[in-house]
Amino acid sequence: MTAVARMAMLNLRTVAPYRYQGFLVFALGVLLFAGKPTVLVPALVFFFTSQFASYPFNVADKAGLDTLYAVLPLPRRSMLYGHYAWAIALFVATASVSTVLAVLLARAQTVPFSGRTVMTVLALSWALFAVNVAIQLPLLIRFGYTRVSVLGTALPLAVVLGTVYKLHLTVPSTQVWLPVLWIAGAVALMASAAIATTADRRRMRSSGPAPKIH
Amino acid sequence: MTGLQLSSAPEIRKDPPVSTDLAFALRGVGSAVSDNFALRDVSFELPTGYVMGLIGANGAGKTTTIRCLLGIRPIDTGEIELLGHLVPGPVALRQEIGVVLDHAFLVSDWRLTEVERTLRPFYDRWDGARYRQLLDEFGLDLRAKVKDLSRGMSVKLMIAVALSHRARLLVFDEPTSGLDPVTRDELAGIIGDFLLDEGHSVLFSTHITSDLDRIGDYLTLMHNGRVVQTGTKDEVLDAYRVVRGGPDDLRECVGVQLIGIRRTSTAAQALVRTSEADLLGGNVLVEIPTLEDIAIHVGARDPQRNPDRDAGAGRRQPDSPMPTGRNA
Repeated sequence: MTAVARMAMLNLRTVAPYRYQGFLVFALGVLLFAGKPTVLVPALVFFFTSQFASYPFNVADKAGLDTLYAVLPLPRRSMLYGHYAWAIALFVATASVSTVLAVLLARAQTVPFSGRTVMTVLALSWALFAVNVAIQLPLLIRFGYTRVSVLGTALPLAVVLGTVYKLHLTVPSTQVWLPVLWIAGAVALMASAAIATTADRRRMRSSGPAPKIH
Repeated sequence: MTGLQLSSAPEIRKDPPVSTDLAFALRGVGSAVSDNFALRDVSFELPTGYVMGLIGANGAGKTTTIRCLLGIRPIDTGEIELLGHLVPGPVALRQEIGVVLDHAFLVSDWRLTEVERTLRPFYDRWDGARYRQLLDEFGLDLRAKVKDLSRGMSVKLMIAVALSHRARLLVFDEPTSGLDPVTRDELAGIIGDFLLDEGHSVLFSTHITSDLDRIGDYLTLMHNGRVVQTGTKDEVLDAYRVVRGGPDDLRECVGVQLIGIRRTSTAAQALVRTSEADLLGGNVLVEIPTLEDIAIHVGARDPQRNPDRDAGAGRRQPDSPMPTGRNA
């Protein structure tokens, strides 16, 4: 297992004790958007992954896991990239499950939900996820969960809603943008990882007056 | 991924300008923490196989020094050698180091089985059987959650983790604060067992000096971000004298620095350097100090007072005799 994968796995184990709360949030999301299968996937991806991609930071703040990260034989950069790998794994899992649910709900409601719609919805979800994580993770890495938990959710949400409103995006109108959405999402994540590396270096330099190691 | 390469044992390379018989050495280390506090010219070293006690009041710079040693905090000046590598060394170097605080820096809702499952993939030499054996020895239940452990149990858990990945250097940062005497005694026993292997070393930061009476081979005394004294335990104890007298007997006189002087209406007490004790008048009672005497008086001194002199005097001389520790 690579160092990045080990870090992603550490994040999974970090949130594992709180999985039932996670399932509850997911179930509530399903109930909330069950009537609109096309909205279900991007909505769940956006809200669920935004909460659970950042949740290891929440636990880390409380448990002093920064010390653990610092003493584990794990390159710092792998630790940072592991957060992104964890978020992407979360996207894949959430998008997969919610897409299956959306297809089933659409059939039950006899709503058209073609393969083309699925591709569009997934591309849109990917872009939403990428914008969210690209903004959220550098903030969390630099300042920690406690200081940016609200901002870390509100800022990506504002960016996404503003973009949707400004470009008058709908599922049909988005179809022409599919390749752009996938590529733009990937570029946003790569740029974010580079920013996070700098942010982490600054955090390491300024992590001074703590009375204990963490 | 690079991490996989870095974490494999053969990747540990020997940097030429370091000595292999030292567990660690800090040489002229400086690190600015804030406008009001910095490590300044911190120099001390520990030969492999011994226990170094790092003593100082809260805020003396012990934790910052440990952070620098572990490569968690960057240094501005000087250099640090750790287990034969200049810090920051290869990532695989962390396989060799166990860090123990006065609490477990683990997810509080993990059970001790999950602790092992989570940490095992990071360590090449993780020994699951040893982990379970140590937990059993320490009286820790594998099904217990981290948050249900007492402070002493948390310290034992972190020691079990460190020993399970076969660390060669254990770094304790005030592990005994808040522990009862029985648990502190157990901890001393565990450290003693760890040191039966001559390749093992311990850095033990504390402000409870009695912990070091039993296990300390070397001592480093810190105050206000500087090393005040370092050397073998005997050297440090021999460097000072406690002087007692009437209120008027302990006045500043030329060539004598009264360290952490305490006065009442009827008496006064201070610490002086051994070489200066004879310069005081005949009415002054001169006694050999305990470690606690030294820590109390040095910790109570005026932080602005003559720090350069203290730092210079604190350097261990290269020809200092080796301690009479268990490996000597």
